[in-house]
Amino acid sequence: MFYSIRHVTRFRYSGPVRESVMELRMQPRSEGPQTLRSFQISTNPRAQLYAYTDHLGNAVYHFNLLREHEELRIEAQATVEIGQMPAWPDKLDPLEWSRYNDFNLSDDHFDMLEPSRFAKPSPELESFVKIADMEKPVGDPFTALKTLQRGIYDSFDYEPGVTEVNSPIEVALEQRRGVCQDFAHIMTAIARGWGIPCRYVSGDLYHKGSRDRSAANATHAWVEAYLPSLGWVGFDPTNNIMAAERHVRAAVGRDYSDVPPTRGTYKGDADSELSIAVSLEPTQAPVRHEDFLKVARPMVSPTPTASMPERLYHQQQQQQQ
Amino acid sequence: MQHEVFANTEDFGGPDIVAGTGRVSKPGVDAPYANYELGKPFDEMFAPDGQARAPYAAIDSRVSSLPLEELNRRQQAVEQSFLHQGITFTVYNDNQATERIIPTDLLPRIVTAREWDRIERGLTQRIHALNLFLRDIYNDGRVLKDGVIPRSMIYGSKHYRREMRGIPVPHGAYVNICGSDLIRNEAGDFVVLEDNLRVPSGVSYMLANRDVARRAFPAVFRSMGVRPIEHYPLELLATLRSLTPFHEDVSIAILTPGVFNSAYFEHAFLARQMGVELVEGRDLLINDNVVYTRTTSGLKRIDVIYRRIDDDFIDPLIFREDSALGVPGLFNAYRAGNVMIANALGTGVADDKAVYAYVPRLIRYYLAEEPILDNVETFLCREEKSLQHVLGNLDKLVVKAVGESGGYGMLIGPHASQKEREDFAEKIRADPENYIAQPTIQLSTAPTFVGNGIEARHVDLRPFILHGAETKLVPGALTRVALKRGSLVVNSSQGGGSKDTWVLSQ
Repeated sequence: MFYSIRHVTRFRYSGPVRESVMELRMQPRSEGPQTLRSFQISTNPRAQLYAYTDHLGNAVYHFNLLREHEELRIEAQATVEIGQMPAWPDKLDPLEWSRYNDFNLSDDHFDMLEPSRFAKPSPELESFVKIADMEKPVGDPFTALKTLQRGIYDSFDYEPGVTEVNSPIEVALEQRRGVCQDFAHIMTAIARGWGIPCRYVSGDLYHKGSRDRSAANATHAWVEAYLPSLGWVGFDPTNNIMAAERHVRAAVGRDYSDVPPTRGTYKGDADSELSIAVSLEPTQAPVRHEDFLKVARPMVSPTPTASMPERLYHQQQQQQQ
Repeated sequence: MQHEVFANTEDFGGPDIVAGTGRVSKPGVDAPYANYELGKPFDEMFAPDGQARAPYAAIDSRVSSLPLEELNRRQQAVEQSFLHQGITFTVYNDNQATERIIPTDLLPRIVTAREWDRIERGLTQRIHALNLFLRDIYNDGRVLKDGVIPRSMIYGSKHYRREMRGIPVPHGAYVNICGSDLIRNEAGDFVVLEDNLRVPSGVSYMLANRDVARRAFPAVFRSMGVRPIEHYPLELLATLRSLTPFHEDVSIAILTPGVFNSAYFEHAFLARQMGVELVEGRDLLINDNVVYTRTTSGLKRIDVIYRRIDDDFIDPLIFREDSALGVPGLFNAYRAGNVMIANALGTGVADDKAVYAYVPRLIRYYLAEEPILDNVETFLCREEKSLQHVLGNLDKLVVKAVGESGGYGMLIGPHASQKEREDFAEKIRADPENYIAQPTIQLSTAPTFVGNGIEARHVDLRPFILHGAETKLVPGALTRVALKRGSLVVNSSQGGGSKDTWVLSQ
């Protein structure tokens, strides 16, 4: 299966800004059943792009713009091939729990067991876990994770606008509403508490007119849990499905803060307004630009707090839905 | 004699003489030591029987020959000199910021050549092991795989910078400037209390103290063969230069948080001494992955940054996004090798309480050597034998939770009630991995001028280690003094002062 993916990210500023510096984590990963066939990225105003691979294996592009500008547009175009996904068994044997040992786990796994900025225990999480009867995993780890995913799907409504890009999971836990970013963090925090290494996946989902709750015109996020006999297995608690041929993986991290698609700062006394258009379609051949232009509703980035005497840098990020 | 007078015109004491070693002062009896108390702690000047130790004979004989008024006059001259040089720090109180001088003491603390030799070898060994440890945990993680140090201690540390994984560091030197706090135990041996591997400060006070102590007792100073320390800024400059492969036109800057930082004096002082730029984050910018400073004649490239800002604040793009002190994009320029930063990022993971306890083992693991300088004895409750010892001796020990700082989760055994100790024992049993214990720490005492005489005050010792292409210690240190009688707190923010440290050449 080939997909053509196009992201148009546009920042509009209420006044002239300068010295923009930005990092992008948009390039689909090339590993397992997923192969990256082509990738292009361009900015307007034009900037020299630099790239590196971060310690989690994500491709990161970065650039800066010294001159004054009032708009910044980033276009990324990828062609990805997704091959046959492995067929998961219905369940594993309960001995799987004992396989979480030093022999099977490496440094990368251990790092995905510790609480992280967004995926960490709190009284709100504890009370949710109690109410939803998830204090102890039931059955083998794989069954337990599927039950957990179902539990989160049933307990929360999908509703953009309730939480923001930097909201802690407590907001979603109190409101019982949120978006994919929140659900992925909640599932990660609970499963790590059970001793299962979990990582956050940022990417895109091909919606196919299905029953999916997540928004088609935004980037998506889900969870990968490590099962010693199966490897990293993807769970999508937003849609209560296993991550499979429709999920295109761009970056993995401990949580959202490791892998925002865009992260940047600028100088200038202006607010920024971010709009994102995402299109993901099956394809046979490279796709023409004009085929895509579905512009999402504008999202205003949270107003920066003036905590420093001379606060000139503003942080801007997009929430994953 | 003419020469002697001429040389001393700058001296606070005027022409000075070495009075010979005829007189022997008795602490607690003779003026000016009438109120000098010798207790259980090791005293730097007097042996337990009240005899002045040999290295202090000359200073004793000079001090006891001077009237009290003269000592007072010299002490005031010393303080005046600090004030005129602007050697001050800022105290924040009731929303008012007051500039105060760091209290400085007239009388030097003396370290013999033999003692210094051990300190120098011990700290060199220690910084080598710590740098190998940092390189290991940011690359292969051999020390974790071999189970020498628990993984959770590294991954759970808020100073562990995952961004540093796999990034090459010149000479494998992560810690380029280190200030280690040593104390002298009751047996008179120096032991390491703490490693400061992030942005240690105080070296400017070491240099300033020398400047005044030398002038307070000029002849004594000259007679004793005190090793010079004035070349520290040059050694620091050489260390910073050794981080780049370039030999000419290396452009270096000190990155300061700004004038409101309590160590700003030091940042400005070192920049002036080394002849390098002093910049704040807003003076720098990144263009095409290269660091520039804004100057009146345009942008000028920077090759090495001696940063005096914590990791968290250095680049709002990568670390704390609310930092207005840092430079967005700096880390990526560093990753690309276009700028060197000293100290490297992520060194803080190696100087927290828990890792400290492991340093002797790290020395054995990486260097296959026995530690030359010991730690303060530390019991790791995660180990069964230590746990039993700690539980059986709670009334004598200080127990600390490893993840906490600032006194949280701490039990001071000798001052706690029976009930508090029992409650704490429960906590330790429930989660032994989270606790370490140490004996109550005694600092040695040194003679300190207090206005109406000379009394014993507790001191520690902070030598500064430079580590680039080579490892160097300037033969000197900052001796911090707890100025309140009986106090063990040497921090300048809490009534601590400092004094000059004379390392003898033989």
